[in-house]
Amino acid sequence: MTKEIEILKRALAREKEARKQAEKILEEKASDLFQLTTDLRTANEKLEGLVSERTSELEGVFENIIDSYVVMNLSGDVLKMNDAAKELFGYDIDKEPLNVLSLIYKEDIPYAMQSYQELVKEGAFTNYNARVYTKHREVKNVQINASLIFNVKKEPIAAQGIVRDTTDQVKNQQIFEEQKKQLSVIVENSSLGIVLTQYGKIVQTNGAFQQLLGFTADELVTMNVQDISVKDEYHTSKEKMEALNNGDIDSFSIQKKYRKKNGGVLTAKTNVSAVWDDMGNVKYQVAIIEDMTEQLKQQLKEKKLLNDLEKSNQELNDYAHIVSHDLKSPLRSISSLISWLQEDYAQVFDEKASTTFDMLHKKVDKMDQLINGVLQYASIDRIEKKVYDINLNQIVQDIIEVIYIPEHASITITNKLPTVRGDEFRLQQLFQNLISNAIKYNDKKKGVVEIGCKEKEQFWEFSIKDNGIGVEHKYFKKIFNVFQSLESENNSTGIGLSIVKKIVDFYGGAIWLTSQLGEGSTFYFTLKK
Amino acid sequence: MKTLSILLIEDDEIESIKFKRVLDTMVIKYNLTLAKNGEEALILVQEENKIPDVIFLDLNMPKMNGTEFLKILKNDTALKYIPAMILTTSNNRADILECYAVGIAGYILKPLRYEDYKEKIQVAVEYWSHNELIKL
Repeated sequence: MTKEIEILKRALAREKEARKQAEKILEEKASDLFQLTTDLRTANEKLEGLVSERTSELEGVFENIIDSYVVMNLSGDVLKMNDAAKELFGYDIDKEPLNVLSLIYKEDIPYAMQSYQELVKEGAFTNYNARVYTKHREVKNVQINASLIFNVKKEPIAAQGIVRDTTDQVKNQQIFEEQKKQLSVIVENSSLGIVLTQYGKIVQTNGAFQQLLGFTADELVTMNVQDISVKDEYHTSKEKMEALNNGDIDSFSIQKKYRKKNGGVLTAKTNVSAVWDDMGNVKYQVAIIEDMTEQLKQQLKEKKLLNDLEKSNQELNDYAHIVSHDLKSPLRSISSLISWLQEDYAQVFDEKASTTFDMLHKKVDKMDQLINGVLQYASIDRIEKKVYDINLNQIVQDIIEVIYIPEHASITITNKLPTVRGDEFRLQQLFQNLISNAIKYNDKKKGVVEIGCKEKEQFWEFSIKDNGIGVEHKYFKKIFNVFQSLESENNSTGIGLSIVKKIVDFYGGAIWLTSQLGEGSTFYFTLKK
Repeated sequence: MKTLSILLIEDDEIESIKFKRVLDTMVIKYNLTLAKNGEEALILVQEENKIPDVIFLDLNMPKMNGTEFLKILKNDTALKYIPAMILTTSNNRADILECYAVGIAGYILKPLRYEDYKEKIQVAVEYWSHNELIKL
């Protein structure tokens, strides 16, 4: 019995022990569970915070997005719109309901429907570009990207869209297109050839250029500048092109030969300018080509004409020169022979003969003056054409000292004369001839000659005034013609004033006179400053 | 008084007569040689004992003209010392400049009247008759 009790006791003790153990395990497990629950709760709280954070972030994005954001149900009733959308459309759904159908521009309705179908079918559409009405009946251009919103069962419940106002962009685009059109009208209708190149490659040409060379636009864009250049000339333009591309020069102008499709050559003035990109690098070269064929022909013609004219003018002057000299010698011989007759036969000749000899001498004198006049006239554009600073006071002073002035005549310079550009020979001749005439053709008891000068903007105006015999109005032009003398006097050759006119012409000035017959004349002439 | 030997290079016969006629009015002793152009004159001056004291030279002559002759004369080591005077109708500036540049002793324009001519030649000849002249 005792043994049985003993066994039972022991069994009880084991059971107790086991129970104790189990309780302990249970306790441990409960503590673990508690820990787990706490962790879970923390995680959940964190998650919740995160969700609300994200939601509010998203909310913020929608509210602050520059573009308009609109949510609508599938019937088109607007459920939600951000401030940008309110501003764009002019509606506020908090105050009045809005259906998107009322926004669609009349002409764009078919397109809108088509896009809606696409939205339903594909779940989204992008780059819908159309016009909309605002509440204030304005028409605006918008670009819309939209997508469907689904519930948990994957059923579409709404649609959201981002609407961008492209009104300004479209307007600018239209302006740009218009300007482009205008520009291309100018380019296409220009009589000048215009070519756009990129590093030797032809990119774009206009009609005029195509016509000049005989290539089509399509042919030209497959070609290089080298293909239409004449071989030996390409290098000269290449050097300048390199300078242009390096930014050393902005543009250059050359005369260049082009090869035409028919094998001919076109000579044209070519002006090349660089076109830069925003970074300041040369992006294109634009060349303006002006056909010079006709111009060159004309130039050649003119040059030849000018050469011929110069040559015949030179010949004429040389001729006058040679003839004058050749005439001078025999005249000197005649003069001498007359003198010798007078000397050697002085005793033989009577009074009458000596008068005849005097008349002979006078005629010879006159002829000599004529020859000298022709010589001077021819010399005006024969002598050197260099110009110097010439002090006219000095010139006129020298003339007054040299020429014959009768006692009853006086010459005064009324104001200080300027220094002009010219040469001494011509200027001295100019003043001397006018002053001599003023002295020579004077019939008054007291001859008065006044030399004056007025400063004008571009030139000096000189005047030589006398109180002499005067010139009739009808001769005002004639007196400047060569060999036109109004006097049959011996010492009047009719060359003096023609020389004066030729010198004034030579310096690009003008000459004229005012005169009263019997009272005097004033000769005016101008010299450039 | 020394004899002044003069070479006149002149193609016009009456001009030569005129020159001689003037000399005859003067008291100086002279020896006048005439040449019708530059070539003839060159042959003359290259003969010994024929080198003149002074030369009067016209510019416009057939064959070798005055300036051509002058250039040859002034390039010759022996002849370049002979004073040469131009006697011409040309007052062409270019001619005058060229002559002075090559080397002349005077440039006389032939006046129209014989009386004026006589005066000029007398003065010039008189002047050279007073000068020290060199013969190499």
